[in-house]
Amino acid sequence: MSWKRSKSNGSGAGLGQRIGYVMAAPYFVHLAIFFGYPLLFAMVLVFHRWDIVTPMEFVGLKNFTRLFHDDLFFRALLNTGLFLVIHIPLQIFVSLFFAELLNSKLKGRSFFRTIYFLPVVVSGVVIAILFQQLFAFETGYINSVLSALGGERIPWLVSPEWAMPTIALMATWKNVGFYIILFLVGLQNIPASMYEVAFLEGATTWQRWTRVTIPLLNPMMVTVVVLSTIGGFSLFIEPYILTGGGPLNSTLSALLYIYNQAFYFGHMGYAAALGLFFALIILIVVLLQRRFVEEDIY
Amino acid sequence: MFKSRNLVLWSVVAAAFMGCGRPSDSDTTSGDVVQLTYWSSQNPQERMLATRLVDAWNLSHPNIQVTVQPLPAGQSSEEVLLAAVAAGTTPDLCSNIWPGVVSAFIRAGGVIALDSFADFDSLLQSRVPAALHDRFKAEDGHFYQLPWKSNPILMQYNVRLFKEAGFATPPRTYSEFLTAAERISKDLNADGRFDRWIGYRNIQPIWHERFFDYYSFYLGGTQGAPLFENGEVAIDTLTSNAVFAFFGELYRRNFFPKTKFQGNAFVSEQIATEFVGPWNIAWLQENAPPELDYAYAPLPVPDGTKGDVHTYGDYKNITIFSNTKYPKETWSFAKYLVSKEADLMLLELATQIPIRQNLTDDSLFTAFFLENPKLIPFADQVPLTTGVEGVPGFAELLDAIAQQFEAASVYGIRSPPEATRRAIARIRVIQEWNK
Repeated sequence: MSWKRSKSNGSGAGLGQRIGYVMAAPYFVHLAIFFGYPLLFAMVLVFHRWDIVTPMEFVGLKNFTRLFHDDLFFRALLNTGLFLVIHIPLQIFVSLFFAELLNSKLKGRSFFRTIYFLPVVVSGVVIAILFQQLFAFETGYINSVLSALGGERIPWLVSPEWAMPTIALMATWKNVGFYIILFLVGLQNIPASMYEVAFLEGATTWQRWTRVTIPLLNPMMVTVVVLSTIGGFSLFIEPYILTGGGPLNSTLSALLYIYNQAFYFGHMGYAAALGLFFALIILIVVLLQRRFVEEDIY
Repeated sequence: MFKSRNLVLWSVVAAAFMGCGRPSDSDTTSGDVVQLTYWSSQNPQERMLATRLVDAWNLSHPNIQVTVQPLPAGQSSEEVLLAAVAAGTTPDLCSNIWPGVVSAFIRAGGVIALDSFADFDSLLQSRVPAALHDRFKAEDGHFYQLPWKSNPILMQYNVRLFKEAGFATPPRTYSEFLTAAERISKDLNADGRFDRWIGYRNIQPIWHERFFDYYSFYLGGTQGAPLFENGEVAIDTLTSNAVFAFFGELYRRNFFPKTKFQGNAFVSEQIATEFVGPWNIAWLQENAPPELDYAYAPLPVPDGTKGDVHTYGDYKNITIFSNTKYPKETWSFAKYLVSKEADLMLLELATQIPIRQNLTDDSLFTAFFLENPKLIPFADQVPLTTGVEGVPGFAELLDAIAQQFEAASVYGIRSPPEATRRAIARIRVIQEWNK
């Protein structure tokens, strides 16, 4: 009613607009306080040395000079890249597999949907502590089972080769429920008539999946890839709790390194410079990803 | 036993303060009640201690009322305090101040120089062993912290397991410790792997974990020589190499496991030693079965080391924050927190060691130590305990060592001399960056 009035009445339109601004104001205030201000502050911080308690000291580009000579930060970037390479395909494969299962006429479907979603709502810290106990080398449940079955114990979290894949496995397990829901929505939006036509044309199950399901799931695939990439870049809790960045820096993620610089060592300005650089990398990767994935699928 | 003793002591403290003069009452505006806020540690024992001390104080000082609050929750108390100093939301005083963070508070102008109070010097002389005075002095020559408790790190060992292995006394040197490790580390279920180990350390490459292995053992090997002198790295390479090699041998031969235990491995007798502070006694008294026989001894030192064995102490001190409106009243309360009676309560309730000279000889504490002999080695260790070094950015510098400890000792991919060399080189780079 009010919308119609604002369309037909000039003063009403002004009023409607004002009400709109008022209604949107809390969001903009929130955005300004919790996003705009910290962002601007970080932009100032990158040119300063600051340990929170003492006054800021202007250092020009020194933080960036240090950044480009900091081997450990580049190691952390590589580690994050390795995590993404393992995590994203695994995440897509596992969540698509379970989404397909839950999209079929499975008995107890609602129960399984709830079960798969549970890890998403459980605190990451709790899950990390749980995995720490499960994957402990000498005393963990998984190695105890492997050992009882006559197998070799696997140094899940205490070997540079195994630690990051183990963390990727954990991150996948935690988030898979969310991506199952996304894929499920995508699958349920595919019109049944498309499958009927394919069936009548003589397409096999595999052909229906590759020629109908996957192409029509593409928009959701882009969403999943972008979200899991951004989520993967923010890898922090798992290495923070499970490994502290070890063994031998093999699980030191970029975010964990930035956190250490800021809150352990008090280099707020340097951490802000690292954060800015890291944000640029994320932006470039996501833009490239969108370009290639979207080109590929449309 | 503790409960009844504490009740008596609480009454004595309350009565003593009710009866004695009220030195700071005269400083307040007549009729006004001064309200102070005191942040204590968060652990249950210290919260109980703080509550009882404050209750006794409030009863005897109606014009200076103190509210005790445990430190707000955070990743660490240092992080919370730094945030509070930055935000200007500090309490009047806090008794959980790690010396490593004081220099930042001073730079921020967040704390008061305690030697500005006329009786600070006499209090320091009467309470703190003379050899330790300089360790609490800031670079500007002033004292901003009132030394409170020292918490030396010692070796806690399972007496029964050592006796079963044929050892009547705990190991004193690295060789003795390794010999004990050979006999005590065992495969109990015949699956070809150890199920019991001589000890355990958290292997995550986190700087503060190294206080309980590398740093304590380094101090033991150098008789308390610091890692830094006049801000410059002064690592004794031979001792550093020896510490890396000692732990390297323990991990190489699987005497220390690379794992995470479920529950307390010392209580379940999966490990025979731990390197801990006296706070562990209170925990074991509450949680360990009565038949667990354990004792404390100085940390093992490199073979051939002569003289007293030094160690690291997790000092916690008292500071008064600059935003207090009542510095004199706060100082009176701070003095009360380090009084003999309060120190006895610190021992009884929290099993932590006050920085007080002649602790075991003082008649007020004699009965306590007779009843609690496990704390005597910690009390004896006080003069031989070194706290964190005052060099700027110590956490980051220790992190450089933690990286090498992991490489050389835990994973054995680097020789000890190379690890020491790299640690020194990295420290110099960090110091150059931070100039």
